[in-house]
Amino acid sequence: MTHIILREKDVPNIRELDVYLANEGFDGLKKAVSMKPSEVIDEMKRSNLRGRGGAGFPTGIKWSFIPQSEPVKYVVVNADESETGTFKDRQIMENNPYQMIEGALICAYAIQATAVYIYLRGEFWDIAHDLDERIEAARAQNLVGDDILGSGYSCEVYTHLGAGAYICGEESALLNSLEGLLGQPRVRPPFPAQKGGGLYKEPTVVNNVETLANAPYILRVGGEKFAELGTQQSTGTKVICVSGHVNKPGNYELEMGKHTFRDLIFEMAGGIPDGKGIKAILPSGGSGPIVPATDEVLDTKLTYEDCQSIDTILGSASVMILDETVDITWAASKMTKFFKHESCGKCTPCREGTFWLDKVIDRILRGEGKRSDVELINNVAANMQGTTLCALGDFAANPILATIRHFPEDFYAHVDGDDEKAPVKAAGD
Amino acid sequence: MSDNMVKIIIDDVEYEVPAGMNVVDAAKWHASNDIPVFCYHPKMEPVGMCRMCLVEMGTLQRNPETGAVMTDEDGNPLVRWFPKLQTACTQVATDGMVFRTNTQAVVDARENVLEFLLTSHPLDCPICDKGGECPLQNLTMAHGPGESRMNFSDKMKLDKHVPLGDLIFLDEERCIQCGRCVRFQDELVGDDVLAFHERGRTLQIITNSDPGFDTYFSGNTTDICPVGALTTADFRFGARPWELTEVPSIDPHDAAGSNISLSVRLDRDFGGRAMIKRVMPRQNEYVNELWISDKARFGHHFTRSEDRLQKPVVDGKDSDWATAISTIAGLLEGADGDIAAIAGSGMSNEDLFALRSLVTANGGKRLGAWPTTHTGADLVAAVGVGVGTNLSDLGAGDAVLIVASDLEEEVPIWRLRLKGAHDRGAYVVVANARKTRMDDFASATPRYQAGKAAHWLDGIDKADPEVAKALKAAQNLVIVAGAEGLTLDGSRALMQSAANFLIDSGHYGKANNGLMSPLPGPNGMGLHYVGFTPEVTADIAQNPPKVLIVAQAEILSDDPYARAWLDKVETIISLNLFPDAVADMAAIALPIQSFAERDGTFTNGERRVQRFYTAQGPMGDALPAWQALSRISEHMGQGKAKASAAAVMVMMSNELPAFEGMRYRELSRTERQFPDISGDDMYYGGTAYQNKGGLGKVIPTTAEQGETPARADVSLPPVLEVGKGQFVVLPATRLYNLESTFRPSTLVHPRIMSPFVEVNAADAARLDINNGDVVEVKLPDVSVRVRASVNGGAPEGALVLPRHLTDDPTPMTVAVGEIAKV
Amino acid sequence: MANPLADKYADRIQKHMSKYPDKRSAVMPLLYIAQEEYGWLSPDAIVQVAEICEMDPTQVKSIAGFYTMYRESPKGKYWLQVCTDLPCALKGADQFHHDLLAHLGIEEGGTTDDGMFTVEHVMCLAACDRAPMLQCNFGYVENLDMDKMKELLDKWRKEAEAYANAD
Ligand SMILES: Cc1cc2nc3c(=O)[nH]c(=O)nc-3n(C[C@H](O)[C@H](O)[C@H](O)COP(=O)(O)O)c2cc1C
Ligand code: SF4
Ligand code: FES
Repeated sequence: MTHIILREKDVPNIRELDVYLANEGFDGLKKAVSMKPSEVIDEMKRSNLRGRGGAGFPTGIKWSFIPQSEPVKYVVVNADESETGTFKDRQIMENNPYQMIEGALICAYAIQATAVYIYLRGEFWDIAHDLDERIEAARAQNLVGDDILGSGYSCEVYTHLGAGAYICGEESALLNSLEGLLGQPRVRPPFPAQKGGGLYKEPTVVNNVETLANAPYILRVGGEKFAELGTQQSTGTKVICVSGHVNKPGNYELEMGKHTFRDLIFEMAGGIPDGKGIKAILPSGGSGPIVPATDEVLDTKLTYEDCQSIDTILGSASVMILDETVDITWAASKMTKFFKHESCGKCTPCREGTFWLDKVIDRILRGEGKRSDVELINNVAANMQGTTLCALGDFAANPILATIRHFPEDFYAHVDGDDEKAPVKAAGD
Repeated sequence: MSDNMVKIIIDDVEYEVPAGMNVVDAAKWHASNDIPVFCYHPKMEPVGMCRMCLVEMGTLQRNPETGAVMTDEDGNPLVRWFPKLQTACTQVATDGMVFRTNTQAVVDARENVLEFLLTSHPLDCPICDKGGECPLQNLTMAHGPGESRMNFSDKMKLDKHVPLGDLIFLDEERCIQCGRCVRFQDELVGDDVLAFHERGRTLQIITNSDPGFDTYFSGNTTDICPVGALTTADFRFGARPWELTEVPSIDPHDAAGSNISLSVRLDRDFGGRAMIKRVMPRQNEYVNELWISDKARFGHHFTRSEDRLQKPVVDGKDSDWATAISTIAGLLEGADGDIAAIAGSGMSNEDLFALRSLVTANGGKRLGAWPTTHTGADLVAAVGVGVGTNLSDLGAGDAVLIVASDLEEEVPIWRLRLKGAHDRGAYVVVANARKTRMDDFASATPRYQAGKAAHWLDGIDKADPEVAKALKAAQNLVIVAGAEGLTLDGSRALMQSAANFLIDSGHYGKANNGLMSPLPGPNGMGLHYVGFTPEVTADIAQNPPKVLIVAQAEILSDDPYARAWLDKVETIISLNLFPDAVADMAAIALPIQSFAERDGTFTNGERRVQRFYTAQGPMGDALPAWQALSRISEHMGQGKAKASAAAVMVMMSNELPAFEGMRYRELSRTERQFPDISGDDMYYGGTAYQNKGGLGKVIPTTAEQGETPARADVSLPPVLEVGKGQFVVLPATRLYNLESTFRPSTLVHPRIMSPFVEVNAADAARLDINNGDVVEVKLPDVSVRVRASVNGGAPEGALVLPRHLTDDPTPMTVAVGEIAKV
Repeated sequence: MANPLADKYADRIQKHMSKYPDKRSAVMPLLYIAQEEYGWLSPDAIVQVAEICEMDPTQVKSIAGFYTMYRESPKGKYWLQVCTDLPCALKGADQFHHDLLAHLGIEEGGTTDDGMFTVEHVMCLAACDRAPMLQCNFGYVENLDMDKMKELLDKWRKEAEAYANAD
């Protein structure tokens, strides 16, 4: 297969503007500006592209929510990429940056935005500076800025660096962070696409880097053609980040629905090191439910819908492989520490729940836990789910709920006895 | 609230509520359903943080063709329920919304949120100031899990005594990160000096400002904090809420007339008498909503200061009432009717009436008001804001003009409420010779030359035509006219100009339109209605009487020029809380009671007559002024002394038309107010108290009573002549100062500025004066030494000289003077 | 009051300011500049940034405290942030982190006596395919082991010395 996103694998140095231009670069944008904005949105709808940032929301529909009557609108590129095990956006921006810029401009044209902000996680310092230079190079070719490609449409592209906060990948927290406010999620509605809910209260599209990097191709070949790739519900390709216990970790761009986890792990990623057995898979970083590496799971195809059928999610497709030696309790503790560290603290269940889970899991790992502690964390996690202000609370519950569901013995191995600790009286008693 | 009503269903009952009303508010107001909240506060934007208000939510299913609500076989409406619980605080009512607040899922969710909150909470209720009136405690009892599954030793150990400023302490362990304090400061006050620091479980409230949490409204955060995380330095460890009795009262410090509640307890430290332990806000949506200034909250200590005058003093010696009264009777009889009185605005309406009765019965005619800085109360009575005015109603399409007043320093609650008007879209104009804090919340800030406020307003059509046009075009217009930088004549001219403007543009005689004035003290309008005017005081100074009664007017501490004419008065009779310099000069000095020790009424700047009630045990032999005065009348055979303040009010209402029909019973009437903070659910509005003392009654303007408003020619005062090397000296007000009714609140002393004069940078450079230099400000016959503050506050050619920061009186009204480095 | 940051970095500040419709949005880039200038976000640095962005210093402090890449206390010349999150940990990052601390003789979060290195463990840095890895100041160093690490430490030490001598 030729690549749509990781094109550097086919065209070396596509990161350079001249090489990119020589290889159909900016043809998508050229096409777009020759169309009516609404036609561009229709084209995206036909592609049935779903957002690659995790939630899988149909991109064309998202763009169509923007009220055209508002004079000021924005596009924000979500390049915060902070989900554990995700490293695809970084590769795209390092190796094929113009495609993301072009995609963002197509989106900007489609909604008639006045500016594009690329919000990068702070650690992508070098990438941001590199992007700044590339944006200037594109401007010199009339691809960015005033009167783009002589179309009469003008749009600026800016980078903005975060400073180390996973929550700023959540779109409303990201917008707050960009505005110089505390990077905590906002109450919705209003949603970013609505007046009052977006950047500086203006209607705003927030899309993931990979999502936007698909747009030039879609415009070039047409939405219908794109939709021929993959399955009906999961069109196109997906960049899968493979990490953990595999011989060849890295990003693999696969047509959706054509490959199984087994293909991914054993063919592309070279199998498990030292010939060890595989125990479990985390298909979507720390935030998606873990699945045991049964044959059923290994034979599951990589699509949104197939992952759902095995009670997990494809999400951002950051596939972590755990070999047979891994203690799942330890892995759960690692993930819990992540969410505790990254909880923004705004809402009660997430702030207190992640802190509490971490305390109890640590106790279990130290061998000081009781059997009842396992039930306790399971219950605490369940109480977090569905009650938090943003999805981080749900994410944080997954590493506990799914690990205990599938690997209870890993937890119980650390505990013995069941004598309850004397309960502490609550206030007011 | 919107007129547009929609139907929503709460727990199977349909209610009609205004479209867009917050669902927590709607449930409470219309369905008497208290959805528990921590972070939501009805005066602030919802943030959905605490998750306590989770409810089941759905929408009625409608037939897509007919729009009719679909029903099941039993005729019950079909509801499309959301898969997850929703926070009621972030939803607003729209037609066809359905809520369930009593299902198992909701009960569980509340219990879970409480359990989460308690994982970090120290559970130190037995030693917590909030214990007994704590939303967390109450909600835990009502909805909580009963016991915590969190291991106590796993809890966070945090700092428990973090001073956020001089007045407010933070207990980090108790804070539940609801953000109310942060949002109060940011949204309502406009001083974002509080914020969250770090994140996750280490999220903490901080201030990193310099000075710290130092705003005039800081104490309100302790009321709305739903736990005992924020406490005041005043009340910390002072008493337990359940030992306290709440006595309705009125803030005695300014024209807002904020409704307060005095929490009192019989106290060892006060000889077993009832003593004020703290001052809390009392809800009056027309006056102060749920808020009070820190001066109102912390400025109560003067009521039981040991420096209070405690016995009548006759000829410089402690005496008793009988001796004092008969001596005074003799003096009055010997005065041949050459009697006059000057009263300050700390006097209640009843006090003033008793004083008026005494003076007039003995042939006196002249009743003077103190201080002689502001006038025009008569115009407020004529074209003041109409009955039913509520500053919270002002918003888009309306306008406010604030002229010649530093509102933040003079009447902070008005400044707070008018900031709200600005936020709601009102066109707020702040006109002054200098920058004041209110400029930050203004749409336009025209400047005039120091001393020329009246000239500016009288000529506004030429000076600022755009502003004038916008003000005239406003749907509703309120003018707040002060007297900063003016003489008494100038104040008259400004007030008349303001009245004329309102009359010409038709903005008077109706609610939310008309004139207000930050008259000093709590009862400036009362002085007017009982017949005391500053013009008469000026006349008294010109032609001193034989006998002068000075009542709660600290003339000598206020005015450096007063001694010259006071010396010419043969006999002074003083009534005051403190043995001030006037009392020293007086033949007789009578100790009177403060607002806290007796009953009475004040008339606030919006002409609302409001009751205060006896809260604190009396100091020494002090009597209510009305009582002392009517005993003198009785002694002189001029009618029997009244038995109560209420009885004085009855008399007064018979004699003075303004008070016609006023009865204490009517003044103590209340009504249900939105937001409804009554009841046990302190989690909703905070510990601001339900109003049980009455909302008071507004005296209608004469315009509303059908009188043609008093449009009159403005007689502009002569322009000050400023010679070479001279400056216009503008007296200014500081909220925190050394006046006798504030000085005993030592807690606030660190926040009283040391004496200073503001000098314009250009002037300072010319005179080689640096910030912090000691300078001498020389005025005719007076000079003061203060530090220069070169901070951009003073306009060029002017010096801003705050009053009451030193024991040396500084000029009360604008004057011309010089400055030199010492 | 003088504002050295505003003077010294006028151009860069202006460039950031020009991106946004309000000054407040520039607070994050300006905090980076302040950190570059002072090595950490000293109280003075916070006040200067607040002035430039027309914010209350409390708000600036709040922003500085929320993010892990702002330093609210002084750190070593080389701030080594070792990723020990799950994917890296599966590749031995915990051991690597432990060995690095032992080699430098410091505890987690500590700084070497010479003020050269601070070591902290951090969450996923989006380089999971090249574990173990760390971020040194603003650059990634990947596919590490202790041998490589020791070489790097020596190199950085020499660089720092050379830089110091050049002054
Ligand atoms: C806690 C949290 C973290 C997130 N982090 C990211 C991220 O790093 N990158 C990203 O693209 N989307 C992230 N998202 C999803 C975004 O909120 C948003 O859905 C996405 O940017 C939309 O883009 P898409 O439609 O192109 O997928 C995160 C969501 C949550 C709740
Ligand atoms: S101090 Fe009180 S009001 Fe402020 S966030 Fe904490 S609990 Fe809320
Ligand atoms: S989330 Fe609704 S009251 Fe806190």
